[in-house]
Amino acid sequence: MALNPMHQFEVYSIGPEINLGGINLSFTNASLFMAISAILILSLLFFGTKKKSLIPSKIQLITEMSYTFIAKMINDTAGSSAKAFFPFVFTLFMFVLFCNMVGMLPYSFTVTSQIIVTFMLAAMIFIGVTIIGFVKHGIKYLELFVPKGVPLVLLPLIIIIEIISYLARPVSLSVRLFANMLAGHTMLKVFGGFVISLGLLGGWLPLSFSVALTGLEILIAFLQAYVFAILTCIYLNDALNLHH
Amino acid sequence: MKDLKEISTRLKIAKKNIKKVEENNRGTNAASLGKALKISTELVAAVVVGTTIGFLLDSWFDTKPVLIICFFFMGVAAGMLNVFKSAKKMHKKL
Repeated sequence: MALNPMHQFEVYSIGPEINLGGINLSFTNASLFMAISAILILSLLFFGTKKKSLIPSKIQLITEMSYTFIAKMINDTAGSSAKAFFPFVFTLFMFVLFCNMVGMLPYSFTVTSQIIVTFMLAAMIFIGVTIIGFVKHGIKYLELFVPKGVPLVLLPLIIIIEIISYLARPVSLSVRLFANMLAGHTMLKVFGGFVISLGLLGGWLPLSFSVALTGLEILIAFLQAYVFAILTCIYLNDALNLHH
Repeated sequence: MKDLKEISTRLKIAKKNIKKVEENNRGTNAASLGKALKISTELVAAVVVGTTIGFLLDSWFDTKPVLIICFFFMGVAAGMLNVFKSAKKMHKKL
């Protein structure tokens, strides 16, 4: 069991089974690690903004840097009209980042390696952005599916293709994060298993790989959170500023 | 008054320099790696979505293999369109 690389992704319930109308609402290890990430984010922001000194302490610096990072990202990709959505994008980025980073700790569980978690986040963004688009532009938002300068004969085909490409957004957004986390953690575990099975003689090579891969995984964990947030900004930009 | 004017012109120059630095920093390494990771899944996702739509419509209208084939190819086209769009966006930014 210790050598099974997929064992780490198992979801099991902690504590009593809770059943509400046929829906299993038990507190699982996934919920536990989501709660841990949320508490970590809240405490970082709480302690980071508690003492507002002119020369910032390390924790205040991290908080301020994450704020300016997201603010700049929104300004660059979606323009100043998207500033109202800063809290949403910031929450999303911090949650994905902390879930990924907490998953890098030994004996922890990576919440973002579950497709249902990432798909829920992506579906939330997709539905939200579509509603924002319709509220802002009304029925004119459907112009997104009709590119300019297309001959009338090709128009039905192009519209279907555009609709498919629009519907593919949540799928690509969720699969990207899920697949990256799943593949990375499986690979780490496989190399870890090699260390044990090759023993003291041959185990050093996979061990060094494991160390290098851990560094790569931390980079991927940050990068995937960044990509998730920046794509949210791009979709917001499409919804707010039509045809730009 | 003369001092104030001098300060304001110096401020203008400093602001211009900040803008220049910001423009130069746009295509940093981490950002480009993120873009590369982004494109790779876009192609696959559209194919999956297209095929799923074809499958659902097929079982709805009882036209078993026709629509799934049509929508598979449209999904491929949509995936390429997505890749093309994001590549164009990157080009614009550079």
